[in-house]
Amino acid sequence: MLRKYGLLAIALGIVALYLFPLYWMYVTALKSGTEIFANPPTLWPHDPQIRIVEVWNRLRMDVYLRNSFLIAGGVTVIVAALGTGCAYVLARIRNRWMDAVLFAVLMMQVLPSSLMITPIFVAFNQMGLLDTPRLAVVLAQAAKVLPLYIVLVRASFLQVPRELEEAALVDGNSRIGAFISIIVPLARNGIMVSSVLIFLQSFGEYVYSRSLISERALQPATVGLQSFMGPNSSDWAGVMTYSAIYITPILIVFVLLQRKIVSGLTSGALK
Amino acid sequence: MGKTMIGAMAVGAATFATAAPAQQTVLDLWTIDDPGEYHYVLAEEYMAAHPDVQINVRTVQFGDMVNDLARAMATGDAPDITYIDNPEVAMFAQRGLLLDLGPQIAASDIVHTDDIFPGPLASVSLDGGIYGLPRGANTIAVYYNADMFRAAGLDLDAPPRTWDAFYDAAKTLTRPDDNIYGLAFSAIATEEGTFQFLPWIQMTGADFDDVNTEGAVRALTLWKRFIDEGIASRDTLIRSQWDSTGTFNAGSAAMAISGPWELPRMRGEADFDVRAFALPVPQEGAPRASALGEGDNVILKSTDQPDAAFAFLEFMYAQMDRVWNEFGYLPASDVTVKDPQYPEIYAVFEDSMRAARNRGPSANWPQISQAIQGAIQQALTGQATPEEALARAQDRIDRIIR
Amino acid sequence: MLKFTNTFRDGIGFDTVLVVMALGYLVVFSAYPLAYNLLMSFQSVDLFTLTSFDRPFVGLDNYREVLSRPETAMIFWNTVKFVGLSVLAQLCVGFALALFFQLDFPAATWLRGLFLAGWIMPALVVGAVWSWVLAGDFGVLNHMLRQIGVIRENIFWLSDPDVALYSVIIANIWLGVPFNMILLSVGLAGIPKDVYEAASMDGAGRVQQFFTITLPMMRAQLGAVISLGVIFTLQQFDLFAALTQGGPSNASNVFQYWSWQLAFQNYEIGLGSVVSVLMIGFVIAVAFIYVRSTRYEQES
Repeated sequence: MLRKYGLLAIALGIVALYLFPLYWMYVTALKSGTEIFANPPTLWPHDPQIRIVEVWNRLRMDVYLRNSFLIAGGVTVIVAALGTGCAYVLARIRNRWMDAVLFAVLMMQVLPSSLMITPIFVAFNQMGLLDTPRLAVVLAQAAKVLPLYIVLVRASFLQVPRELEEAALVDGNSRIGAFISIIVPLARNGIMVSSVLIFLQSFGEYVYSRSLISERALQPATVGLQSFMGPNSSDWAGVMTYSAIYITPILIVFVLLQRKIVSGLTSGALK
Repeated sequence: MGKTMIGAMAVGAATFATAAPAQQTVLDLWTIDDPGEYHYVLAEEYMAAHPDVQINVRTVQFGDMVNDLARAMATGDAPDITYIDNPEVAMFAQRGLLLDLGPQIAASDIVHTDDIFPGPLASVSLDGGIYGLPRGANTIAVYYNADMFRAAGLDLDAPPRTWDAFYDAAKTLTRPDDNIYGLAFSAIATEEGTFQFLPWIQMTGADFDDVNTEGAVRALTLWKRFIDEGIASRDTLIRSQWDSTGTFNAGSAAMAISGPWELPRMRGEADFDVRAFALPVPQEGAPRASALGEGDNVILKSTDQPDAAFAFLEFMYAQMDRVWNEFGYLPASDVTVKDPQYPEIYAVFEDSMRAARNRGPSANWPQISQAIQGAIQQALTGQATPEEALARAQDRIDRIIR
Repeated sequence: MLKFTNTFRDGIGFDTVLVVMALGYLVVFSAYPLAYNLLMSFQSVDLFTLTSFDRPFVGLDNYREVLSRPETAMIFWNTVKFVGLSVLAQLCVGFALALFFQLDFPAATWLRGLFLAGWIMPALVVGAVWSWVLAGDFGVLNHMLRQIGVIRENIFWLSDPDVALYSVIIANIWLGVPFNMILLSVGLAGIPKDVYEAASMDGAGRVQQFFTITLPMMRAQLGAVISLGVIFTLQQFDLFAALTQGGPSNASNVFQYWSWQLAFQNYEIGLGSVVSVLMIGFVIAVAFIYVRSTRYEQES
């Protein structure tokens, strides 16, 4: 019993240390632009100023956030639809060809978005995709994170015992049937965690959105955040308030969700 | 198939619009402003006064403007009018992408180039052409904490005018035990670093294309002493002007070199007596120089409505007496500002503006600027002496200009 | 036709379709930009010819120019250090945390979820916060280290050329930990409990269990996390922009940031492309090692 609480105390210590930057974001959101630079630093603001309502309304954050959700959701759907099967095949079949595919998949992720955007812009412009800019961002970002998803989910499929699949095929299932009804459910933890990571990653996508979407009403929250940054000045408290507003609920949701995904399902599934 | 249909409809719509009696002129304008700022406000006003003109304003981030414009020009989606930061005008003008406004200005009742200050005028001029009109300008000066000046026994009414006096004052004001630096400025490896450094060497007769001079070495040596002797923070090397001045506002530095954009935050948050003086000169009687910031309104050559675009440019130019109080820029031409905000500090900046010098002009300005930043950083980190660093920079600059 | 549907139901056709769909998508949307970068590295590219293919070829001139620059060697080694140290530390910290939160104590799973904060904070915010934590004068880190008596003089984390790169690495490790930890947690949860129970009965200690059971069964996960870690680290870009701009004097510059500086700040686009091609070379090496390592992961 004592051991359990000892571990809890250590865990709290680690989390507190790790989350310090998050704490600093919240505190800075409450500080004045000058107190940020105070020496020695103030761990709690002298005169906390809450600007949530002002920031929300002035920037019309509801519009930005809706776009962020649409983009991140769209990316996650495309990636899960295209990537799951590919990851499965790459996990099951080993030969020269599959080695080459895996290699190619990794290679596609090499360059940062900021170096990919120019050719993408040119190509999308010619394809007429810029008329539907959010879709363009979804397509580009899906290509960006698909390799990540494939590699991660592939690792989860490897953990699914092959015998289960063979048994299902012997029972008269088709390959598709076995894949959908036996294998995917067994690897669902990995699939869901990877999807969550993809979703969050795409929620934070900035480079493609700012280049491909010129209309304010279609831009995601990350682009909106830039309006606090002028050529010579930056409203840091505004930046922090803005990001606190959208990080907090997402963080809570995913803390709850990951608990279910990582621990809740596995133990039962493999027994 | 779908595309042809849309195309056909667009043609139909265009024909229809032409046939309509009140013809709408549509101008696309790119800006770094957000709604409520200069371009948005003036576009609204102009449209209210000219119902036949429609101005579509689009915000582009400051750092992305050149890239986005270049891309838009290549794909044929360039705007009619845009904002360009002043050192980058030459890059566009030299490639023949901007409309030479010379003939239109000659015929204009509103724009007279003689009224524009030499710095801003130089920033839009190239080989006899005039490729834009400044929307306003900014420059830098030295803000100082008068309370600290007083406490250190310095004369409030005779702030330092030469480099030596400035150095002495900064040294006197430095109090390491109280975590107070004498001076805050920015030597960051971005355009801001060049922006802050260039006037110091220009005062000695050097310039962007001639940095390997005795005077420039003297200037860089002075900067190096600020860092080496703990008069300014070592983080000066990686800190923007805004963040450096933040430490001044917080009472951690007694002086700060920055521009008028700091004033709203300073007024709200610095709880001491803030004053300003112009950049000091190498020695009494030396020519003055100051930095030139802010940008220009330019018309792209690809526009199909040069006259409508110029009419709007004239309108914006005519608002020069409003820019200080409403948008925070210094006027770039000789106008009288009625009841200026922060009157004493305005007077200092207004005076410095007359000494402001252009960065460039060079069609390869960003590369030259990077060579200068490299010299600053090498010298201040001690990786090279000021002489070596500037000699290396000169080498690169020679190769760039060729 | 019937034969095809049959193979789709039961044979190689099924596998092929799944792979081709994903790969096809990637080729359409990702391979093209890569090829474009490769092409530009052999051309003289101006900002204003960026979008047309009609550009003069200059052979290997761009490569010669990049390789002859005095800063190239330093930036290369910085990149190696940045990637190597970041990935190693992220993996060790992430694995340790995953194991720790696997232990049975109250709220373990809740607390683990909080680490996702590092994954969702916007890059602009992460960069700004770290720049204040690491600031030399008013930084929180120096303040705390002084308070507990570890240092007397402030360390200029970001502006001391000997330290700047490591400061960016520290911030980058912080960013990469959640990814490593969450994925390794999933892997750990996937190891059946009875394997451990059997080992315990055979008298294997915890350390022995870790090396004989945990590590081998995590091989696939580890391979994936490491190779992706390398790629993520090579894409890390915002931290450099926010913390040091690659400075002072290139002391903390790395390929990915340098490539962007050349292409989008100096508008020396051909040179920027060369640097990105060098990065591709770097990643080819990593991908090769990863693919080789997957040869041995079938046993689980």
